[in-house]
Amino acid sequence: MSDRSRRDFMKAAAGAGALTLPLTKALAQTEPPNTIPNDVIKGEKAKSMQWHSERPLTGSVPAHEHDFDVTPNDRMFVRNNLTTPVIDINTHRLTLKGLVDKELSLSVFDLAKEFRTVSMQGMLECAGSGRSAYQPRASGTPWLETGGMGCPVWGGVRLADLLKAAGLKPGAAHVAGQGGDPGLVPTAAPVIRSIPMRKAMDEGTLVAWAMNGSPLPWVHGYPLRLVVPGWVGSASTKWLHTLTVLDAPFKGTYMDSSYRVPRHPIEPGTKMPPDAVSAEAWPIKSIITSPAPNAHVKGTGPILVRGRAWVGEGAVERVEISSDEGRTWQRAELAPRPPLHPYAWRTFTYEHRPQRPGYVSFVSRAWDDRGNPQPALPYWNPLGYFWNGWHRVGVVVDA
Amino acid sequence: MREWLFAALFLAGNALGQQDEKLISGPGSTLTETKCRICHELQHIKRTPLSRGERADNLKNMKERGTPMTDAEQAVILDYLSAYYNREKPAPDPSPDTVASASDDPMEKLLGANGCTACHHVDKKVLGPAFREVAKRYAGQAGAAERLAAKMRAGGQGAWGTVPMPPNAALSEADAKKLAGWVLGLAGN
Repeated sequence: MSDRSRRDFMKAAAGAGALTLPLTKALAQTEPPNTIPNDVIKGEKAKSMQWHSERPLTGSVPAHEHDFDVTPNDRMFVRNNLTTPVIDINTHRLTLKGLVDKELSLSVFDLAKEFRTVSMQGMLECAGSGRSAYQPRASGTPWLETGGMGCPVWGGVRLADLLKAAGLKPGAAHVAGQGGDPGLVPTAAPVIRSIPMRKAMDEGTLVAWAMNGSPLPWVHGYPLRLVVPGWVGSASTKWLHTLTVLDAPFKGTYMDSSYRVPRHPIEPGTKMPPDAVSAEAWPIKSIITSPAPNAHVKGTGPILVRGRAWVGEGAVERVEISSDEGRTWQRAELAPRPPLHPYAWRTFTYEHRPQRPGYVSFVSRAWDDRGNPQPALPYWNPLGYFWNGWHRVGVVVDA
Repeated sequence: MREWLFAALFLAGNALGQQDEKLISGPGSTLTETKCRICHELQHIKRTPLSRGERADNLKNMKERGTPMTDAEQAVILDYLSAYYNREKPAPDPSPDTVASASDDPMEKLLGANGCTACHHVDKKVLGPAFREVAKRYAGQAGAAERLAAKMRAGGQGAWGTVPMPPNAALSEADAKKLAGWVLGLAGN
């Protein structure tokens, strides 16, 4: 970001907070004080957004509404654990404490002034994205097979730069993020998640204030959030106010009872085994974003099948499409990996020539560069995380 | 008190717009509805029947996340959900909620159904003032019942401190009057 655009952005960001406050108050008839009503959030989202629950607010768009190289703000999925707070960017501060030589307390403006700003496209996906495809059903938000993910461009500073500025003490091994989202009861546990230092120091891990060039929308963490791309969305703490450097993973319900997966496959429908591990990077996944399911295509001319593929760590190696329910597979054309955006999803295309009018289906599957395939059906797990089964879309070719 | 604490009072208002959302009637259904809808809609339960073991884990998780419930209440809820929302066996026919009707007092039911007891107690300050304190303040005033009934529906802030009471638009005027009359009656006892 140039100095000038940064200045303009900061002015806009400060203005957004100041102007919207009274409006929010007026609208907040039935919402907890100092929170953004769901109706306001929904008003900023695409009509195609499907809302899965009001409390907490969750919603996402179907696959064919993901047909963008960069996910627009109005199509980014919404997943709150609690409520959406009103925070004033002018008074908001980020504290960095714990196993550091020097504690930091910074405003959003300090961050932009004192650290190198970066702009990076990065994949975020809720751990439960695709949950509704698991049988038996797992408890939690019933994300569609293709909902609960998005890949916007984030603007902010590298978490690594903040950690270096504070100086790590011996034993510093994990970083916990805490956000200012209020619960509905005084006993509500704060949503605190930690990530290991390896990921905290990764060049893709950001403390972000911008999304696709504008201030973060309220529901996406205004004025400040973590972006831990490729990992389960809950690692990317919204409304971030405190970072704590620890010698071990944070101990709390959002680490110890949620966002856990069995270490080895278990029988579907059974309890979480005691040796479960924390859910971290997403496995390889691809979805078809065009055509839309059951679309009608005129004539037997070529059909362009387009989709997106991503993996939490490593790189997408290839994507294949089958137009005969898995009997044969053809390699799709995969856009090159942008060197400055290692955590961006990648667009793939495949041209299909239908033999005759009628119904035709497309199935996509991807491989990562470590040899991991996208499975037809992933192993079941009690909390319904990491759904990455093959994605199938059928269309009708009209004569 | 931190600002987010104020939000606590909202839970009484959460009944708003969700009066139609019910679980299958059975022993413990009212308690389960009251506790679970503090933070989420009941459809989270209805669309995902779980085995008893998974449900036990789920309730433990919810308690950790902050659901205000005693161990005894948690046990009642687990028994209820394991009977009526269990993927491993069909739900029994609806039956009266014998746990809720352990008290046959219609006023207690009205208080419970409208979420009043989430924040108020007869003699103790919880998040809101004790009902008896409210009764004492209004005692002897003209039109007290009407004003109190209106306040129950509209909510307010300031009279008892900074913690706001959320509006309860779903509370009918008739029920508000019944509740107001009962509260005011506590002044003399």
